[in-house]
Amino acid sequence: MAALPSPTPSPLRQGLLAAWPVALGYFPVAVAFGMAGAGAGLAPLAVQLLSLLVFAGASQFAFLGLLAEGASPWLAAGVALLLNLRHAFYGPALRPYLKGHPLLAFFLTDEVFAVALKFLPGLPQAARAGFFLGLGLGAYLAWNLGTSLGAFGAARLKGLPGAGEALSFALPALFLLLALPHLRNPVALGAGLLAFALHLLGQTAWGLVLAGVLGFLWRRP
Amino acid sequence: MTPILVLALGTFLLRYLPWLGERGPSPDQAGPALVVALFLVSAFGPPPSWLWAKTLAALWVVFLTWRLSRHLGLSVLLGMAAYALF
Repeated sequence: MAALPSPTPSPLRQGLLAAWPVALGYFPVAVAFGMAGAGAGLAPLAVQLLSLLVFAGASQFAFLGLLAEGASPWLAAGVALLLNLRHAFYGPALRPYLKGHPLLAFFLTDEVFAVALKFLPGLPQAARAGFFLGLGLGAYLAWNLGTSLGAFGAARLKGLPGAGEALSFALPALFLLLALPHLRNPVALGAGLLAFALHLLGQTAWGLVLAGVLGFLWRRP
Repeated sequence: MTPILVLALGTFLLRYLPWLGERGPSPDQAGPALVVALFLVSAFGPPPSWLWAKTLAALWVVFLTWRLSRHLGLSVLLGMAAYALF
């Protein structure tokens, strides 16, 4: 009997496969987030709800940090929303590839955006939405499973030797590979360096917003 | 609970509304600019320290693995191992 040809993976599965480096980076951070939430005095269910509904790591950490410092929950939510302003630039950058599927915007984190920008242009139009859904779901599952582990189970996880340091490097390594094609683009490099300068001054979120604005306004020479 | 719901709704709208508009200025370089910015701010935390040298060395491992294998996951994994060892 002749062997069946191996089927091409569905776009959804391709997206899930593309998500694993993101998931690898998300999972430990999400565990840390869950543990931090418990440490800040939030009920595990509330911590989990943040990850389920907000799905934006930096702003979730900011929300917890402000609560832990005694800020009102409304102030904490306002500051977290400011941190998420940069997300407003992600949709327009992906819209040419995902027209007609705006609800997929729920999955638009920094990392999902960057991986999508790398892969979507090379995919046929019909496969793009499925791919993006798989990518977003993979990242979302990793973030929420990690949060669960941290929030519900985790005093035992503290102090595993060596693992934390290696895992903290997963996202920079991933971002390097995603940024490589753009490092010779003077607009991208200039905006990135400006954001970095603000980051060194402690204004990371505003630096990222500014990079998005500059990229939006400038034209490549 | 209500602030969490407001944060969730606000975050979704920040992502959703700009995507919804069919017209408007072209994003052009916004994507590449944000990706480069995200790389720099995630890799090098302030203030400058010896950790930057360790990060650069591990990033070099990531880059070399990528050049040799063109495998995203393998490059990330070897970079992580290198970072832990350096």
